[in-house]
Amino acid sequence: MVENVFDANVEHLVIRVNGRFDYSCHKVFRDAFVLAPRAKSYEVDLAHVEYLDSSALGMLLLLRDYAGGEESHVALTNSSKAVNDLLKMANFNRLFDISE
Amino acid sequence: MKSALTILIADDNPSDRLLLGAMLKQFGHHVIVAKDGQEAVDLFDPEVIQLVCLDVRMPHKNGWEAAVEIQNLALDSFIPIVFLSGVTDPVALSNCLEVGGADFIAKPYNPALVTAKLNAIARLLVMQKTLEDQRDAMAWYNEQLVHEQEMAKEIYENITHSNCLNDPAITTYHHASHTFNGDVILAAYKPNGGMHLLLGDFTGHGLSAAIGALPLADIFFDWTKKGFLMRQIIPEMNARLKSILPANMFCSAAFIDIKANEKNVEVWNGGLPDLLFFSQSKKEPRHLISKNFPLGAVSPTRFECVVEPISYVPGDTLISYSDGVYEAADRNGVMFCESVLKPLYEGDVKPSDSIHWLVDRLKVEGVLDNPHDDISCLGISLDTCIGVNSLSDQEVAGSVDLPADFSFEYKLSAESLRTTDPLPYVLQIITTVPGLSSYSSQVFMILSELYSNALEHGVLGLDSSKKNTLDGFSVYYKEREQALASLQDGFVKISAKVVSDKQLGQLILEVEDSGKGFDYESLDFTLGSTDVPYNRGLALLYQICQKISFSNGGRTVTAHFHWRPEKNT
Repeated sequence: MVENVFDANVEHLVIRVNGRFDYSCHKVFRDAFVLAPRAKSYEVDLAHVEYLDSSALGMLLLLRDYAGGEESHVALTNSSKAVNDLLKMANFNRLFDISE
Repeated sequence: MKSALTILIADDNPSDRLLLGAMLKQFGHHVIVAKDGQEAVDLFDPEVIQLVCLDVRMPHKNGWEAAVEIQNLALDSFIPIVFLSGVTDPVALSNCLEVGGADFIAKPYNPALVTAKLNAIARLLVMQKTLEDQRDAMAWYNEQLVHEQEMAKEIYENITHSNCLNDPAITTYHHASHTFNGDVILAAYKPNGGMHLLLGDFTGHGLSAAIGALPLADIFFDWTKKGFLMRQIIPEMNARLKSILPANMFCSAAFIDIKANEKNVEVWNGGLPDLLFFSQSKKEPRHLISKNFPLGAVSPTRFECVVEPISYVPGDTLISYSDGVYEAADRNGVMFCESVLKPLYEGDVKPSDSIHWLVDRLKVEGVLDNPHDDISCLGISLDTCIGVNSLSDQEVAGSVDLPADFSFEYKLSAESLRTTDPLPYVLQIITTVPGLSSYSSQVFMILSELYSNALEHGVLGLDSSKKNTLDGFSVYYKEREQALASLQDGFVKISAKVVSDKQLGQLILEVEDSGKGFDYESLDFTLGSTDVPYNRGLALLYQICQKISFSNGGRTVTAHFHWRPEKNT
C-alpha cells in the first residue's frame, strides 16, 4: 500500500509506504512520484513499513534519480530500527537524509 | 471454430431419428446417425464428432451407458452430450445430467427450441476450444521458457563458476529462490599466490538479477588473472555495473583479497551483512561492517573503496553471507539476525563448522523450503598456502620454447605513481616470453616486492616496522594511502632484461627509486627468523631468485631469476 500527499505551497511530496516494501510495490511506488506534480523535495515516510528488501532499496534509488540525482532532496523518515539497519548496511544514509 | 458442427445422433425410433437429422441438416450441420447405444459408441470418433445426441431408452445400450463410454473415448477433449427424451420424469432427467450430459431436448421436437439449444451449445464449444488453444499455447510457451532458462543457466554457471571454489580452504552454500540465482560467489587465484573472492547479491531475484553477474564475473576473472589489485578491480566493476544496470538495480557485495604470503586479508564490504572474522585468540568474531556503497549504485565519482586489512594466523576463519540469510524469518517470524545468528555472534559456534551450522539452521527453521530470497554463504579457512601452487592448472600448452632476448625500461613519475599500477603491464610484457609464462607467479612476486619496497620505503619513506602490531598494520596502510595521494616528487624506474637460449633463461629485473636509500648491509634475510608481519618479502625473494644485489646506496635493487626452457608437449 502506497499513498502520496503533495503540498503545492512548498512543492513537497510525501510518499507513505505501508506494510511490506518490496517488489510487489514496484508499480505503485513509481506511480506515486511519476504521476504526481514535480516537487522540489521528496519524503518517503517509512513509519508503517514492516519489512524492506533490496528491490525497495532499488526503488529508492530510482526516486533519487528522478528527483535529480546528486542535486536531489529526498528524505527517508520514521524508519524502524530494523529498516534503518538495512538502509545503513547499503550506506544509504550517505545518499538520503535519514531521520529515525 | 465454424458454426457448422458434426453431430452424432442415436435413436432407435426411425421417425424421430429422421426428423431430428433433417432439422439439424437444415441448420447446416453435418449429421451421423446410429440406431442404438452400441452403434453410437462404435461410430464415435472424438477427432470428428463435436456433439452427441442420445435417446435415453435404446436397445443394446441405453443412452446413459453410451454416454459414459463415449466420455471415456473422448479422453480430455470436451464433447457435449445432449439427451433426447419423451419422458418428463425429473429423476430420469437429473440422471441425464449426472452421467455428464450437457442438456436435454424434449420430444416431440420443437424446431425453435432445438435451434436455440444448439446455438447455446455451439457457443460453449467455441469457448471451450479457445480455452484449450490458450492452455496449449501457454504450456508451449512455458516449456520454451524453461528450456531457454535451463540453457542460459548452463552458460551462466560456466561463466561464473571457477574451479577455485573447489579449493579445500573454501566452503560455499548456494540456494536459489528461482531457476536463476541472483547471488553469485566468484573465486580466482591471483598470479602471485593468494586468492580473490567475491560474494555478490543483486537486487531482486531470478533471471534479471543473474544477468548483472555476467559482466561482474568477466571483470573479476579477467582483471585478477592480469594481476590487478582489489582496489583497482572494485571501482572498475562499479563503473561497469553503473553504466549497464537500470537505476533501481545494484549489487551488494563483499570482496576478499587473501594475501597468503603476507598472512593478511583485505575485506571490502559494500551493502552486505557484516562479515565475521574468527580469530583463534578471541571467542567473539570481529564484525566487518559495510562501509561502502553497493556496486553499481552510485557514479564512479561518488564511489569510494574503503578496505579493512586484517592479519591472520593459519586456522583463523572468515565468513560472509547474503541478506537472504540475515533477513530470513525463523519459525516464529523473527529475523535470523535477531534470533538464530546470536550463537554465531557470541562465538558459541565452532568457526570451521559455521557454514554447515548455518545451513542446518536454515533447514531446521524451514527457510530452504520456501525461500523469499536467494541464499549464499561463504566460509574461508585462512591459511598461508591458499593459491600458492595454483598455476599448474592454468599452464598453457606451448610448443618448443623460442629463445628470447629483449630489454625495456619503465619510469614512473610522481603523477603516474599516484594514479597507475604498472605491474600488470610490465608482467604482461615479460610473460610474452614463452617459457617464462609458466613462472608468472614468481615473476609477479619479484616485481611486486621490488616495486612496493621502492614505492613505500624509497619514494614515500614509510617505516615497515610499524606493521609490527595489528593496529599498526592498518595505520601503515592508511599512511601509505595519504602519502601517495599527496605525492609531488619522486620516481620509480623498472628495467627488465631477458636473455635466453635453449639451455637457460635469465630475467634481470632492476628497480630504482628516488628515495634516500638504506643500509642494506645489515639486512637479515633468513626466513625462519622473520616471524613478524613485515620484511618477509625480501626473504622470500632470496629463495626464488638466483641473486639479489643492492647498489646506489640501497636505492637500486637487482634481482636475477633463472629458468630452464623445457619442451612442452
